Order: sequence, then C-alpha cells, then structure tokens
Amino acid sequence: MSRQRFEETVLPHLDAAFNYARWLTRNDAEAEDVVQDACVRAIRFAASLRGDDARSWLFTIVRNTWYSRARGSQRAIAPLDAAGGEPADEALDPEEQLLQQQRVSRIRAAVESLPADFREVIVLRELEGLSYKEIAAVVDVPLGTVMSRLARARERLLAVLEAQRREVMP
Amino acid sequence: MTCEEVERDLDAFVDRELEAGAAAAVGAHISGCLGCRGRVDDRQTLSRLLQAAPYFAASDRLRERVTVRAARANWIGQLARWTAAAAVLIIVVGSAAALLWPRPRPADDLTADVVAAHVRSLMGEHLFDVRSSDRHTVKPWFLGKIDFAPPVVDLAALGFPLSGGRLDYLARRTVAALVYQRGGHTINVFISPADDGADTGIQSRSDRGFHVRHWTHGGMAFWAVSDLNDAELTACAEALAREASRQGS
Repeated sequence: MSRQRFEETVLPHLDAAFNYARWLTRNDAEAEDVVQDACVRAIRFAASLRGDDARSWLFTIVRNTWYSRARGSQRAIAPLDAAGGEPADEALDPEEQLLQQQRVSRIRAAVESLPADFREVIVLRELEGLSYKEIAAVVDVPLGTVMSRLARARERLLAVLEAQRREVMP
Repeated sequence: MTCEEVERDLDAFVDRELEAGAAAAVGAHISGCLGCRGRVDDRQTLSRLLQAAPYFAASDRLRERVTVRAARANWIGQLARWTAAAAVLIIVVGSAAALLWPRPRPADDLTADVVAAHVRSLMGEHLFDVRSSDRHTVKPWFLGKIDFAPPVVDLAALGFPLSGGRLDYLARRTVAALVYQRGGHTINVFISPADDGADTGIQSRSDRGFHVRHWTHGGMAFWAVSDLNDAELTACAEALAREASRQGS
C-alpha cells in the first residue's frame, strides 16, 4: 500500500479505529498501541481490502490485532478508567443536567463492564452505526449471533438504567 | 402480531434492520400496545445516552506515530519484495564481475599516501600554486622549483580540463601535482621521476573510496587519484598516458 493510499483509506478512519480499540482495551495507552499495530497490518494486508468499505475492514484488523495481543499477554485485563467529564445537555435545568451526566457516566461504566463480545457489538452499532451485516463481517460471526448479542447486551444495559431510575424515584 | 413476536424483533426494529413489511407490522402493534411501546422507548433512550458519552478520538500524537510507522512498514515491505530479486542479481553479477573484472590491488602504503595527499589538497586550501587552464602557463611554473620537467598536457577536448598545478610531497620527495576537473570531481595527478625506468601499463588501486591509477612512462611515475568513477578515471589516465608520451617523443 502506497503512502498516498494509506492516507486516503486508513487515516480518515483513525478516530473510529481508536474509539473501537479504546472500548475494547478500556485503556488509552493500549488502544494507541493496538491502533498503531493495526495500521502496520493494514498496509501489509492491503490486498485484502475489497470494495471501498475501508472502515469495516480497518475495524476487522483492529479487532484481530487486539485479540492477538490479548492472547499474547494478560494486559487485556486493564483497569477501568474513571468515568467523568461528560458534556451536559444545555437544554436541561441544572438538576436534570446533573442527573443526565450521572446516567451517561453510569451507562458508560456499564458498557465497559460488559463482556468483550457484548461490548463490541454495542460500540459498533450505537457509536459507529454499523449495520448488522457489517458487524457480522467485522466480528466474524453469523448475523443471528450479532442480533442475539446485541439484544442481550441491551437487556443488561437497560437493567442498569432501570436500577438507577428506581434509586432516583423510589 | 403478539407481544412475544414483537419482542423478538424489537432490536431489529429500533435499528431499522427489518424488512419493510415486518417493520410496518411491528409499527402497527406498537401504536396500540403501551408495553411494547415502552420497550422501544427504552432502547431509544439507551441509544441517546450511549451517544452522549464522549467519543474517543485519536490523538494528534497517535496520528503522527501511525503515519511514520506506515511509511516505514511500506518501505520495509517493498524492501522485502525486492530483496529476493536483488540477492539473485547480486550473486549473478558478482560472480561475473569477480571473473571478468580487473581486480584492483589492495591498497599499499604508496596508494594510501597518494589518497592522503589528494584528500589533503581538497580539505586544505592548497590545491593550487599555479592556477591556469593553459599548459603553457602551468608547465613553466615548475621550472627551477623541481629538478625534473613534468609533462603537462591539456585534456579539455576529452572532457578533463586542466585547472592548475602545485608542488606536493609524496613518499619523501617533492612531486609535481597537476589538477584536472571532471564535472564536480577533482583529479590530482602526481608526477615524479621513476625509481626504475621501465615503462608499465596502467594499474588500478583503490583506498577509502578513492580510485588510483598508476603507471610509469619515459622515466616518470604517474599517480592519478580521484573520487571519480572507475571508468572515467581510467579514461583520464589513458588519455594522460597517451598525450604525455606523444609530448615526450
């Protein structure tokens, strides 16, 4: 892959690649290492990029890179970063804003504590907006598996929301 | 459609992954079922909350690192591809060259001295005592300064213009040094009376990346030295030897 092609196909999706890697690793430094390795692999495997869906292709490489690194070491189990600093919704009054921030923090922590299989389908669907078919390709599982993982992941997250709702309004 | 059937398709409905017909059926059920409507709302709330969480964007530092690594990997990849081909080529050309090429003799003390004198002349400011492209100016300059008359020939027509001369010191004796140019390269030609008078052909030597040509003719020993490529220095030496012998005869 020429440098120009790398800049055209990979660099535009670097944020997405990092976001995905960050949710997989739950650690900034490790996510950076994963993305860096993935980019080197992307160049080596440039021939495997079919069509123009460079983003899904890059996700697949990021995922494989993370998996092979996680197998090679125990570093995949990284401490959770402290959640916080979420932007407040300006349309809400201060009390509502605080509540909203708490809910966002709580849900983010809930996603981080999901098993990796569930976590990644949530991230790819909700944050990256991939279709079921695209997720199936990235994660390399049948469509039905994507759907069941997504449904179960949402059930868990909704349970967290429900618990929080009950705390606020007993 | 029952609530159970709808619940099975709830995620696909929210994610707009249902076919048009199925989506319409779920939509119709939801409009009349508070329970299922609530479950759709829950999922949409969840989506909103997830998307409100900060997006982890790549840092500028990562972007830079990746670009650098990519450039390097790309280079290494190409290198690997060419290495095999290059290795074969080197073996073939190398074996042919070893068999066919006149091998320069290893550097001896005199060759090292010649190269050292050449380097000294380029590094210091003493390349010329007489600066002229006219051999009728350069040749008389040596008269009275040394006890021999070095042949001074003009090779401008052959692409090696004379640019001057000086006295130098080589192998514990004073020698005449003629300076020729070829492109950006300087050729020093050292001339002194030969120790024994027999004429020799042109011999090739190398030291530290400099090439040296040595020959003896008409009682004079010549050393031509330059960083010029082998072939051109040989051409220069051949022209010098030819013109000098013509002048001497």
